[in-house]
Amino acid sequence: MAVDHESEEDWQNAERTNWRGLTLTDPIKTIQDKWLLLPAFLKVKGLVKQHIDSFNYFVDVDIKNILKANNKVTSDVDPRFWLKYTDIHVAFPDRNEPSALDKQLTPHECRLRDITYSGQILVTIQYTRGKTIVRRANVCIGRLPIMLRSNKCVLTGRSEADLARMNECPLDPGGYFIVKGTEKVILVQEQLSKNRIIVEVDPVKAVVQASCTSSTHGGLKSKTYVATKKGKIYLRHNSIHEDVPIAIALKALGIQSDKEILLITAGNTEAYKATFSPNLEEAAKLGIFTQHQALEWIGSRVKVNRKVIGPRRPSWEEALEALATIVLAHVPVNGLDFRAKAIFVATMTRRVLMAMEDESMVDDRDYVGNKRLELAGQLLALLFEDLFKTFNTNLKSAIDKVLKKPSRTSEFDAFNTMQFQGDHITSGFVRAISTGNWSLKRFKMDRAGVTHVLSRLSFISALGMMTRISSQFEKTRKVSGPRALQPSQWGMLCPSDTPEGEACGLVKNLALMTHITTDVEEEPIIKIAFMLGVEDISLATGSEIYSPGTFVVNVNGSIIGLTRYPTRFVSSFRRLRRAGRFSEFVSVYINHHHRTVHIASDGGRICRPMIIVESGQPRVSSKHITQLKNGAINFDDFLHRGLVEYLDVNEENDSYIALYEQDIVASTTHLEIEPFTLLGAVAGLIPYPHHNQSPRNTYQCAMGKQAIGAIGYNQLNRIDTLLYLSVYPQQPMVKTKTIELIGYDRLPAGQNATVAVMSYSGYDIEDALILNKASLDRGYGRCQVLRKNATLLRKYPNGTFDRLADAPNDETGKMKKYDIIEEDGLAGVGERVDPGDIYINKQTPTNANDNSFTGQASTVPYKNAPMTYKSPVAGYIDKVMITDTENDQTLLKVLIRQTRRPELGDKFSSRHGQKGVCGLIVNQEDMPFNDQGIVPDTIMNPHGFPSRMTVGKMIELLAGKAGVLAGKLQYGTAFGGSKVEDMSRILIENGFSYAGKDMLTSGITGESMEAYVYFGPIYYQKLKHMVMDKMHARARGPRATLTRQPTEGRSREGGLRLGEMERDCLIGYGATQLLLERLMISSDKFEVNACQECGLMGYNGWCPYCKSSKKMSQLTIPYAAKLLFQELMAMNVIPRLVLDDA
Amino acid sequence: MNSAPVANGSNPGGAYNNQAARQDMEYLCADCGAKNEIRSREPIRCRECGHRIMYKKRTKRMVQFEAR
Repeated sequence: MAVDHESEEDWQNAERTNWRGLTLTDPIKTIQDKWLLLPAFLKVKGLVKQHIDSFNYFVDVDIKNILKANNKVTSDVDPRFWLKYTDIHVAFPDRNEPSALDKQLTPHECRLRDITYSGQILVTIQYTRGKTIVRRANVCIGRLPIMLRSNKCVLTGRSEADLARMNECPLDPGGYFIVKGTEKVILVQEQLSKNRIIVEVDPVKAVVQASCTSSTHGGLKSKTYVATKKGKIYLRHNSIHEDVPIAIALKALGIQSDKEILLITAGNTEAYKATFSPNLEEAAKLGIFTQHQALEWIGSRVKVNRKVIGPRRPSWEEALEALATIVLAHVPVNGLDFRAKAIFVATMTRRVLMAMEDESMVDDRDYVGNKRLELAGQLLALLFEDLFKTFNTNLKSAIDKVLKKPSRTSEFDAFNTMQFQGDHITSGFVRAISTGNWSLKRFKMDRAGVTHVLSRLSFISALGMMTRISSQFEKTRKVSGPRALQPSQWGMLCPSDTPEGEACGLVKNLALMTHITTDVEEEPIIKIAFMLGVEDISLATGSEIYSPGTFVVNVNGSIIGLTRYPTRFVSSFRRLRRAGRFSEFVSVYINHHHRTVHIASDGGRICRPMIIVESGQPRVSSKHITQLKNGAINFDDFLHRGLVEYLDVNEENDSYIALYEQDIVASTTHLEIEPFTLLGAVAGLIPYPHHNQSPRNTYQCAMGKQAIGAIGYNQLNRIDTLLYLSVYPQQPMVKTKTIELIGYDRLPAGQNATVAVMSYSGYDIEDALILNKASLDRGYGRCQVLRKNATLLRKYPNGTFDRLADAPNDETGKMKKYDIIEEDGLAGVGERVDPGDIYINKQTPTNANDNSFTGQASTVPYKNAPMTYKSPVAGYIDKVMITDTENDQTLLKVLIRQTRRPELGDKFSSRHGQKGVCGLIVNQEDMPFNDQGIVPDTIMNPHGFPSRMTVGKMIELLAGKAGVLAGKLQYGTAFGGSKVEDMSRILIENGFSYAGKDMLTSGITGESMEAYVYFGPIYYQKLKHMVMDKMHARARGPRATLTRQPTEGRSREGGLRLGEMERDCLIGYGATQLLLERLMISSDKFEVNACQECGLMGYNGWCPYCKSSKKMSQLTIPYAAKLLFQELMAMNVIPRLVLDDA
Repeated sequence: MNSAPVANGSNPGGAYNNQAARQDMEYLCADCGAKNEIRSREPIRCRECGHRIMYKKRTKRMVQFEAR
């Protein structure tokens, strides 16, 4: 009884007990607001942080390694002389003028003055001067362009107020360079990973090959293949003429006995043994049994590309050197211990054997885990190494030149020679970044188009550029593999953001929560691996390596050892990582197919953070999130406490990740932080993208970059070549979390237009939009176009110089086109510029290029070289800036502003890939209105919906309408956001139809519409394509000098071409006279005199060939035809005109 | 900006006929906003702060906008 009583009480207590404010029957708590980890993440990593981290790594670590590898300069002349670099660092950007008072240089000043934002590269040197050793610190060897917001940038760690003082936008992502005043981005380059074995099959030739691109730090790149040829396996390398039979290669690498070769390649698997045996036979047939014989065989086939100094080496030595240093250069050979390399070759062979046996054992080149991303830091490191080596050889030859002289007045000081080395490094960097050509002969690298000008069309276009990844694949190849969406891209690369057309799928964008790793030292990692019980590989033979249950451990592609307990090894390795014993970016995973454990610490892997789940419980709890909210902890604390960890693609593939908390099961290892982070920054602007057809999201990603809006808080201080600004930008009614995170709500590009989805007037077919004239009057879609016009006032080598002159007077006084020119020869700020007006009255000396001129510079005659306003629409002078460039030329920049209201033909788009042009502007009184008198800004044709299937746009309207009525902003975040049901409820509460439809009255007839109309706000973007910049017509106009045909293109006031296909139509129709008129008479008709006798052209009724005027006749031909005849004659081909009666 | 001699026979257009007015041309430093004069073939540098960028002052003439 007592027990019963007690249990009853227990039950009652269970109902009552308040455990942290909860009772048993309450729902199990989930982690509220775990998405808050995302902004915390973006504070420390993500978006453009990979560029900055990579640059920081270069400036802080890599540059020191490069210096260490090239730290000594000696002389061939004086063996006692040496110069050593002991330290290197990069200084903050400063003004490259000795006279400057304030040395600090801001990026904004660089943009305005067309100079480079660069800092000095300072080295500490030690060298001999006579018998003493001199040490000098802070010797400048050149200047390095500095990445904005990097460690060496003045903007890092500044408050918004500081940034404002420096005319910099706090929302600007940084990560780019300013070179000669232009903002340049080094795009992320995608490559196949180095030092890893990739097995491929060519089904046509039935060839299986394992390839490995070796790349050592600062060394050469070379590719080694192990491939089948006629059923046998060969080792192939560029430095060896002939394919080496694999048995010979292994014998040369010190595995002499056939038994051992068979064991180390085929193991104890019968099938592999059978496939491999012909190879052993081949070696025997060639009579090669020992290592020495094998080396002799290879040595006679090695390409020797080295100047022969001294006696020729025996060929086996050549082979030894080639195998040690060139073939698979990344596998270390200590002394002459080739064991590691032999095992690597054997592993490649085994992978080939496996792939021959089983088709599914080939690797996928397009798998993201097999890719590495090359960032600015790595590219700059290569460039620096090349430049530095050249600098050192130049320095050495300069020193040799001085030391060669027998006697000197003073002791030779190498420091002075160093000062006269010129700006090789500086100009090398500037040239590479400004042209984008990375041609480094030393590293066999020749790439063009590495850098791009940062697009400042809109904030989004600049941001989108920073996350872009360009692929090295050629665009012309018709393989779909590299272009297709890879399942392993999930969460790493945005599935929507890729261009259409030829670069489709080759240019990718990073997802929101990704990071790209930088190199982590691998020696400590290897030590840890051995500490955790890995057995050294060089102690193992084939039977151990391939025995069941044994896993091979790889570190960065090189084989280091064996383990028999892979799961235990990997989990203890991970535990150490979570405890912060080594870098969080080292990944470890098991490959069950190959029975290997891979540890990767190399740079360029894409990774992203995930919440760790242990025994079915996420490690992150609401408590942590509260602490995060209070600012008590940050994202790094989550990492250090082992709550969150980074996974790269390979490790992600080895994990069991729950998308939502309720999906966690016992075997779950990780939990996603937020599903919407699988989209990138640009796709993140789309509200409800999960309701749209996928290509529509892709279209919007392309169009979001063309939208006119705000580009930065400093937009009005900037002087860009072309700048589009919205006059009244609004933040969208329907936001997403991404919008808030990237700051699009503070730099928006669009306006919330009230849209009626209905047809109106017939001027709205084919996606055309109807605009309300009153809305345009109130500023809807109004934008400003600011155009820079720059000129230099040059000083010429002969002492003459350009000058500015005030307006000249003619009889009537000041001439009209000089009206706005003030006394200094520049237009007044704020003045209206009409077409044809002069705004810089520059004059250049007539003898500027005459270098023999020695007279007084002030007496030379001048000619006018004014800058004239060309646009057909008047503008206003917004700014006139005067400054000096780095080489003391005066630079003038005049910013001219146009304010434009939308007109017929201007392009607009919503955020769902639905673009359209303005088809008609309607007076407000003719627009439909609802019972509250609300008139739409835009009317959209409903035919845009059925085929496009942009349901997201419909929900956006609904959510927007609810937001307007409730006075709140709604969310359209991907895979979440405000629910339609809730939106409908808000509509009902405010007296509207739950479906979002309103009863409208026609503004034309005054009758009510027969149907309810879907009516509400949708965020509309105005795109940069405006009719004003495109419209063009011509009757008569300029002609090209060579052909006398009308010029081409709008900018040259060109004609409208009647092309081939149009010509075909006219031929088909038989309109010969029309053809004749279009192709000759109104183009380039030309009268020629032709001789009927010889068929050549003469002149003035005279044939110079026949020396006669008898049979001359006049005819009309196109000038281009006459030109062709003469060009043919110049090539020794006679075209003869055979004349006939017409 | 340039103090070219006033009447040079071969000059197309005038080059500073109005010496007095020229003296009044003032430019604003982009950094500190100080008023500066710019002399020809002298480096452009603010007297107050040494900044190298100058902006031209707004015109004193009336500007009429068409409000559309």
